Amino acid sequence: MKGYFGEFGGQYVPETLYPALVELENAMESAFNEAAFWTEFEGLMEDYVGRPSPLSLARRLSAHCGLEVWLKREDLNHTGSHKINNAIGQILLARRMGKARIIAETGAGQHGVATATVCALFGMPCAVYMGSEDMQRQRLNVERMRLLGADVVPVTTGSATLKDATSEAIRDWVTNVDTTYYLIGSAIGPHPYPTMVKRFQSIIGAEARAQILAKKGALPQAVIACVGGGSNAIGIFAGFMHDPVELIGVEAYGNGVHSGASINFGFPGVLHGACLHLLQDGDGQVLPTHSVAAGLDYPGVGPEHSFLAMSGRARYGLVDDRQALSAFALLNRLEGIAPALESAHAIAYLNIYAQDHPGACVIVNLSGRGDKDLHTVLEEGL
Amino acid sequence: MISEAILSNRRAIIPYVTAGLPDMETTGKIIQSLAKAGAAAIEIGIPFSDPMADGPVLQQASKRAIDAGFKMEDLFEHLPGWAAQCQVPLVIMSYINPLMRHGLAPTLRRLKTSGVSGVIIPDEPADAGALFVLTQDAGLDLIRLVAPTTPAERQREIVSQCRGFVYAVAVKGVTGARTLMPPELEGNVRAIKSLTDLPVCVGFGVGSSAQVDAIMRFADGAIVGSFLMERLMQAEDPVAAAGEVMKILGAPIPEDI
Repeated sequence: MKGYFGEFGGQYVPETLYPALVELENAMESAFNEAAFWTEFEGLMEDYVGRPSPLSLARRLSAHCGLEVWLKREDLNHTGSHKINNAIGQILLARRMGKARIIAETGAGQHGVATATVCALFGMPCAVYMGSEDMQRQRLNVERMRLLGADVVPVTTGSATLKDATSEAIRDWVTNVDTTYYLIGSAIGPHPYPTMVKRFQSIIGAEARAQILAKKGALPQAVIACVGGGSNAIGIFAGFMHDPVELIGVEAYGNGVHSGASINFGFPGVLHGACLHLLQDGDGQVLPTHSVAAGLDYPGVGPEHSFLAMSGRARYGLVDDRQALSAFALLNRLEGIAPALESAHAIAYLNIYAQDHPGACVIVNLSGRGDKDLHTVLEEGL
Repeated sequence: MISEAILSNRRAIIPYVTAGLPDMETTGKIIQSLAKAGAAAIEIGIPFSDPMADGPVLQQASKRAIDAGFKMEDLFEHLPGWAAQCQVPLVIMSYINPLMRHGLAPTLRRLKTSGVSGVIIPDEPADAGALFVLTQDAGLDLIRLVAPTTPAERQREIVSQCRGFVYAVAVKGVTGARTLMPPELEGNVRAIKSLTDLPVCVGFGVGSSAQVDAIMRFADGAIVGSFLMERLMQAEDPVAAAGEVMKILGAPIPEDI
């Protein structure tokens, strides 16, 4: 059925939003079929974002892990993560649809910064909903968003993290649906968002595939990416979906008690408009999550990841806070790169992968840079 | 049964009460108090951790009920007693996730055998055909929502897969009492009524007797949630307060109906 990935996905929204989703889907389909839309998108990707992002062979890290590790450098994008790819794509759609105002949710602040950036670029007012807990641990990004002219709205309900910010953004959208475009930051939410976000992020996978073939002349054995909502992962997976390449998502195992590992520990359920793997108790109440990486601190996961996990096309591993923090330090020392704590989960998984696949060639999606996390890392005592 | 209860009540007010606030025993007494005070039907809300269609009052009600230890098993234990003690139909209002956790079909059947007459699911899937069949199979009325933004063609589809009553959402936005009703509400309700023989009841934003007066001129009933819950959460005696709120809203005392 349209908008579903197997049993996952769909449109579970208040009726008021349904016509807006139809409008969005129509706008998306017409834009996607227009060469001029993609010309403008690709122009901005090149001239504003700085794409293509490099694919770098990480020599010292490779020697350390006993693998051949290539890093897809989304950290080098303008604004410091893959989030800008999606933000550019969606603001072009919002402009086509004649929307006057943009809203977004953010966890780590990377999507908030990307959204505030494209709103500055296109001269549109912007409100970013952010959990007060996340505002505390991602102060730098809050200041950046404000400098860019965005209104950062603290969310204190529930656990005051990404899920609550997303609920609050949806409440704003349902109230201001005529004028407002909801620029969702991950491959989550009701159809058509997961499909749309994947399409914009698939530029990562398309580039990475061409780059590895050009540099190495062969496909990698595996592609590894961290998964919160899972937009960077679905973006790089998209390039290798039909190749004999292992696709591995890495979920946040948190502190071992609370995690963000929806596929590993969740059950199918509905959150924020879609059916997906959800961390929930026996009554269907959503459980509190924890990860040192704010961007992975989410109880759900993009519906296509749920589908890929069930079908066996991709598998989803676990990395805890400690392992991610060690990987953060390791990549600094061995490669001179500070990864986002989210991306550090994917780096940390290399040690696990190497145990059964010594010498294998892998691409890791280095989805963001870690300047924003220095504060957290120092507090954690590294 | 729900339709009849609404159509036979000369001023059909449908109150919403969050289950388990402050505890299940009190919820039962509140339901009884609402029924005695002339409610046409009673919505029992299942608290949910992430109520995205709700404003601050019902968010807080959900949170407090969960913090107070709300459990689905307790609800199933209490529902038959609540249904037996009052003469008005009980309707469950729940986000879809708590109903899905142990399978939608068995959960709906269990609600029916516990004495519930209908369900309202604010985040039901946009393609609710399969859900409608499940509720019919379980013997429950699926009460569907029509929003101010719902186009005519979709209104027609929704009312064809709807039983009990049509829930006309008064405002674009989340739940919560508002002082003004939008001017286009009457036209919207009349448009829905032209498509169906089901009663059409208005909810979202209702919080005064004057608003109920206005709604009754063109609709068959008014749903009152946040206005009631705000007062119940503040009251020292929520059971008495429930009856008082119904009186403020001008509910007919049952002898008069």
